[in-house]
Amino acid sequence: MDENASARLTRRALTVAHRVGLFLAMLLICLPGIWIVLSSLRPTVEIMAKPPVWIPQQLSFDAYIAMFSGIGKGGIPVLDYFRNSLIISVSSTLIAVAIGMAGGYAFARYRFRGKSGMFLGLMLTRTVPGIAMSLPLFFVYARLGIIDTHFGMILAYVALNIPFTIWLIDGFFRQVPKDLAEAAQIDGCTRWQAFWQVEFPLARPGIASAAIFAFLTCWNEFALASQLTRSVNSKTLPVGLLDYTAEFTIDWRGMCALAVVMIIPALTLTYIVQKHLVGGLTSGAVKG
Amino acid sequence: MKGFKLSAPILLLLPAFAVLAAVVLVPLLLSLYSSFTPFRLTRPETFFVLIGFRNYVSILSNPDFWYAFGRTVLLLTIALNLEMLLGLGLAMLVEKATRGQRILRTLMMFPMMFSPILVGFQFKFMFNDNIGLVNNALQSLGITQDAIPWLIESHLAFTAITIAEIWSSTSIFAILILAGLLAMPKEPIEAARVDGCTPWQTFRYVTWPFVMPFAYIAMTIRSLDVARAYDIVKIMTDGGPAGRTELLWTLVGRTAYSDARMGLANAMAYFSILLSIAFTVYFYNKLAAARAQIGAEW
Repeated sequence: MDENASARLTRRALTVAHRVGLFLAMLLICLPGIWIVLSSLRPTVEIMAKPPVWIPQQLSFDAYIAMFSGIGKGGIPVLDYFRNSLIISVSSTLIAVAIGMAGGYAFARYRFRGKSGMFLGLMLTRTVPGIAMSLPLFFVYARLGIIDTHFGMILAYVALNIPFTIWLIDGFFRQVPKDLAEAAQIDGCTRWQAFWQVEFPLARPGIASAAIFAFLTCWNEFALASQLTRSVNSKTLPVGLLDYTAEFTIDWRGMCALAVVMIIPALTLTYIVQKHLVGGLTSGAVKG
Repeated sequence: MKGFKLSAPILLLLPAFAVLAAVVLVPLLLSLYSSFTPFRLTRPETFFVLIGFRNYVSILSNPDFWYAFGRTVLLLTIALNLEMLLGLGLAMLVEKATRGQRILRTLMMFPMMFSPILVGFQFKFMFNDNIGLVNNALQSLGITQDAIPWLIESHLAFTAITIAEIWSSTSIFAILILAGLLAMPKEPIEAARVDGCTPWQTFRYVTWPFVMPFAYIAMTIRSLDVARAYDIVKIMTDGGPAGRTELLWTLVGRTAYSDARMGLANAMAYFSILLSIAFTVYFYNKLAAARAQIGAEW
């Protein structure tokens, strides 16, 4: 009886410890983000206050209004940056996914000489750090005169995304049983038709998540963009963030507001794909 | 083109290779060449002067470079190991939760959505010695009266950067290890328990080997862009104070764009590329080995 009671007590203590641990972990994960949102909504006086004001006295959207009201009113050309980010991210994502589908299909469905070597080689191109990549690109682009253009950024981002897109899409095509496409071919489809009628629809959710992942990579990229863009012609949001820093001062509130604007699309898109993303990354892990 | 037919997979891979060749390979060869010249952006004619290995010699004899190199390796070692441990812990906490798993999983992925530059800025804000959340909290709780100079004192700055790096990347490990835990068959664990294994033994000899390949996938993905740390450091300290948090990548950027010494910077860049490749190949091999082990055991 005594043993039972103590066992029950241990179990309850463990449950409580687990709850507390989980709560603390989640708090640590979310706190920085919450703090940013909060800071973007309060007046600068409160951010700078000493001793600190923990509970906001008043909330306002002033920072957001100032940001979108353009240059001269304490704002930065956010709309231009936003448009550039959008154009560059969307077009490079579309191209990278098209190329990635071809490549991923080749890796998932065909056997050929040097396959795993090629796969590793493809991955290795991704390991070149952005800043190291930017030196020669800067030089080549300057020669070709495509610095500070959308085209240049799109080209760079397509190359940046291809390896990872191929990895993900390869994983998704492998999850589609080979027999289905073969059955379709026996029924008289060409390989091309079999792909579009059978394999593509089945892998579509996965491909969509690869696309979103590529989009986010472009949306968030900084090292390359900071060197290859110069003006409102092509500056993206991450580079625009630096507009809030002057030599010695930083407009914390404005920066927080822009951060929130940047994070909302990313947040929404990641939430949509979270399930597929893990599936794509790990599908090769167990089956090999 | 008659009589010459490319096989299907090569044809399918052709666009990928074409783009990568144009944007990655050719520029890399160019930078390899220019690392043998005294090329400065401001003096184009220096592009055609070959000076052999002098750039490499001057890097290798430069203590600043070696400090940056050592610091980069130190940061990666600390960060990757802690991320792995914390990610494992987090994944196990979430897996044990009986309710609200979906919400927990979403919250867990939260840091993944932050671009590195946002992470850098956000931690710069929080570690600010005057108005930062960390100092405010410490002072309000009465732990210290002074404003702790995070980001200004060199060891503290390095710690702050490591914390930012760990915060931003632990979730990749957690989410992938969680996938491994969920995919794992339950029978071996029950069998181990029936055979009288302690919880630790069950974890060590049953759960861990199964989860390992997932951890290595996370490592491989992480090593594909270890240079994310560039953005974080660039924003938080920009290599300061007095170069005490300079990493390989910030040093490359500074040499190239502030000092305009492209040739020298390219030589350094090659070291950082080799470092990244070494990390990737190492984890890729580990991944293959871990897969093979599972294949044999299950």
